[in-house]
Amino acid sequence: MIRLEDVTRRYGDKTAVDSLSLEVAEGEVCVLIGPSGCGKTTTLRMINRLIEPTSGHIFVGDRDILSMPAEELRRGLGYVIQSIGLFPHLDVAANICVVPRLLGWEKQRMAERVDELLALVGLDPAAYRHKYPRQLSGGEAQRVGVARALAADPPVLLMDEPFGAVDPLNRERLQAEFARIQRELKKTVIFVTHDIDEAIRLADKVAIMRDGKLQQFNTPEEVLNHPANKFVHDFVGADRALKRLVRVRVADVMRSPVTVLADADPISLQEAAGRRRFAYVVQPDGRLLGWLDTRSLAEGTRPAAAMTQMDVAEASVRPDDSLRDALSRMLGLGFRSIAVTDKNDVLLGEVTFAAVEDVMTEGDEHVSNQPTEAPE
Amino acid sequence: MKERRSIGVATVVVAALAFSWLVSAQGLWQSFLRALFPAQPVVLMPRDTLAAFVLQHLALVGISSALTIAVGIPLGIFVTRRSGREFRGLVVAATDLGQTFPPVAVLALAMPVLGFGFWPTVMALFIYGMFPVVSGAISGIESVPKAVLEAAEGMGMSPWQVLLRVELPLAARVILSGVRTSVAINIGTATVGAAIGTGGLGVPIIGGLAVQNMAYVLEGAIPAALLAVLADAALAQVEAAVTVQEAAAG
Amino acid sequence: MGALVALAGVTVLPFLELRANRLVPGVAYPMMAAGSWAYLVWLLVAVGFLSAVLPTAKVRAAASTASGYGLIAATAWAVGAATRSLLVSQQPAMRVSLGAGVWVLLAGTAILGFSGGEERAGTLLRRTVPIVLAVAAVAAAFVWGGLDRISLAREFEVRASSFWSLLGGHLAMSGSGLGLGLLFGVPLGLWATRNRGVRSVVLGVTGVIQTVPSLALLGLLIAPLAALSRAVPVLRAIGVQGIGNAPGLIALTLYALLPIVRNTYVGLSEVDPAVIDAGRGMGMSSWQLLWRVEFPLALPLIVEGVRTASVLLIGIATLTVFAGARNLGNLIFEGLGQFAPDLILLGALPVIALAVIADVALSALGRALTPEGVRA
Repeated sequence: MIRLEDVTRRYGDKTAVDSLSLEVAEGEVCVLIGPSGCGKTTTLRMINRLIEPTSGHIFVGDRDILSMPAEELRRGLGYVIQSIGLFPHLDVAANICVVPRLLGWEKQRMAERVDELLALVGLDPAAYRHKYPRQLSGGEAQRVGVARALAADPPVLLMDEPFGAVDPLNRERLQAEFARIQRELKKTVIFVTHDIDEAIRLADKVAIMRDGKLQQFNTPEEVLNHPANKFVHDFVGADRALKRLVRVRVADVMRSPVTVLADADPISLQEAAGRRRFAYVVQPDGRLLGWLDTRSLAEGTRPAAAMTQMDVAEASVRPDDSLRDALSRMLGLGFRSIAVTDKNDVLLGEVTFAAVEDVMTEGDEHVSNQPTEAPE
Repeated sequence: MKERRSIGVATVVVAALAFSWLVSAQGLWQSFLRALFPAQPVVLMPRDTLAAFVLQHLALVGISSALTIAVGIPLGIFVTRRSGREFRGLVVAATDLGQTFPPVAVLALAMPVLGFGFWPTVMALFIYGMFPVVSGAISGIESVPKAVLEAAEGMGMSPWQVLLRVELPLAARVILSGVRTSVAINIGTATVGAAIGTGGLGVPIIGGLAVQNMAYVLEGAIPAALLAVLADAALAQVEAAVTVQEAAAG
Repeated sequence: MGALVALAGVTVLPFLELRANRLVPGVAYPMMAAGSWAYLVWLLVAVGFLSAVLPTAKVRAAASTASGYGLIAATAWAVGAATRSLLVSQQPAMRVSLGAGVWVLLAGTAILGFSGGEERAGTLLRRTVPIVLAVAAVAAAFVWGGLDRISLAREFEVRASSFWSLLGGHLAMSGSGLGLGLLFGVPLGLWATRNRGVRSVVLGVTGVIQTVPSLALLGLLIAPLAALSRAVPVLRAIGVQGIGNAPGLIALTLYALLPIVRNTYVGLSEVDPAVIDAGRGMGMSSWQLLWRVEFPLALPLIVEGVRTASVLLIGIATLTVFAGARNLGNLIFEGLGQFAPDLILLGALPVIALAVIADVALSALGRALTPEGVRA
């Protein structure tokens, strides 16, 4: 979908981007990452020609972008920047419609699109349509920024540290929502960040850059398990094992739990729990109530009386959460496993500490064999 | 930075010296204007020498501006104090309104009330010059960040110490730009004073226009323009000097 | 405070002056010459004093409003009544002019109005009603109260025919100067934002022009223009001459430039760079950016520059009469030449009124043109 061939950008005798080649397939999220001054933003801005390459070719679809008018090109590429750049004199709806208006859409179609997009980014259209940028919080403004970039349904999104200016709590929420939107829309995304956690969390492919040169271009798993050189190794950081957990969803490693019905009779209970020490107590409709220790169960008591009640929202994770979320929840509660529920508290499975451990240690033997000097 | 400033000061000083020599060189003007207007029998206004016109002008502007500064800045400071708070709204409204009054109209209105001649004109220039000075003083003092004032008070400074060591140094640039505006207006309005018999560089301009003698007009207009630009440049240097101090102190 | 000033006006200073004709100094009369109207003035001044000590802020504001606007009306009627009684059985050349007392009384009234203003930010209706009533009362004093007999009004009668044409000339002169200033100033300001060299030259030169005394600038323009029109007859044919409207108009245009250029420059360069980047990234052409984003955001500041320029020009236009233009300046300087106070007032008061009206109107326009999203 997007192909860079030998792209170079020089400023005087300084080379910002040095013969960079990479290819991003349709529907993929490619994260450009590296320390500041590595050329990641320059690369992004060359794709929509806010910066012209000194040499090389860039293709979007199968067209050489230098062969088309810059403005026409840009209208087909959604663009989101860190400082958002909402037009302060226009309300939210008019901001979202900047590109549709440039493209000459009809009023009715624009209004419908505004509502659709606001709902998509999690803002109530009725409440936000006519607000002005200065009335929005940082997180809300960035959602509007994303909606604006998606307005004319461009196949490609260019995002320059879009969540960089948002506080950490909101940033995680925005990342999660971006991941959700991307699963739904399947855009081809070029995403610049300096936050390696963000990169690993969102990327299909990570391009690690340094001094204008590409260091490694691969899936997050490969980058974590097989850093191409010492620079990548150091950049990814010593907690690679933990980072790997971000890539794995709870649904991928959960197993079916041992359950008993709250009003089950004591004998069947003993049998059901025979294999494991702990069992989850559920209602007939599957909703989780608590857990019990089968060994301390006195003869004849019903589960409902013997169980420890649980605050389900606090003590469980969702299938879409990452293993890192599951791990931190387990550590916080002091459990060796944690329940997986859906939004109605229905028990779906459980994740054990052992499963988390397996994922963490997966690629370690490869890493320890890596050369310590970066090949140039 | 420091070097550039001393160059600036030196330039202004040299320009001022050159200006005083130029306006006292009566013969030079004679031959210059004669060359420009060969048909004109008299090219210099016989009423006074050019140097005298310049001195009258400087006296008008100097006295009125000195009064303006001596009264206007304390007044501006007063209304920002706790004791003067209640007059602040009034003074701000009056200076805002006063600044929309055209200076010529104010000068003309002062005549029936104050009379004709030098001192009434000084009074009128003084009153009109107050508006930018007072509003500059108020906005300068009020531009000092609250946190700085709280820190100063927290360190145990008395109100006077806060004013002298913190507020005035930080407000100096804005206060001076008000003074600069006021002086520029004064120099300009003082030329009009010639119409009411106060002397100054307006005399040859207005006199020349009245008798259609362009040589007289230039005799007044060129030095008046030079004087205004010079005064402005000199005050700009003062402004720059206090700004640098502020940067060094902050 | 205001009441104090007003009190000084009605007690210490002469209220009216009776003069043998329009030029000679007159005999002073106190306000009691107005008979019963004087008591009303006293009463209202007393209300003004009360407005400082009354219990609640609302009552204080009401009292200062009543005494402020009431005094305007009562003064008009008192002056009218006193004028009538003084002019009975006098020569037709006799003039009654306003004494210093009236001016001080009106100044005190203005102070009363100002000090009440902060607490009186009520509805538009509540603010306009007293103004309308006061204006109506003053107008009535002209028709029935004898106010038309004061010397200023008599002076106006004498000059009525030329007054309107001079006022028209004044408006035409300052209006065209402003128009030309806009025509050149806005493009220059725009150019200054695109080019560093242009910026320092344009802002420097207009700044120097602004410092040059207006009368000197006029003088400097006349000689070259006279020479130019002698050398190029075509120019003379279209009215460019050393004496006449041309030098005045050029001077006014030059004076209008600084505020307009500077505010256009500042307004345009204060637009957030992120907003421009976002606009370009979405595919706006530089013209679209300028018209849809930069100008709307800079407009309030540009109008502010126009306001400054117009107030300046209305004043300076009076000086162009020295170069042969005809406007309200003629009345002022003729009056100064003849030592005729009423003639000076007849010229100066409308000039001040025009300046204040322009100031108020353009401030309101600036607020109206401020896009809702960026309004403070």
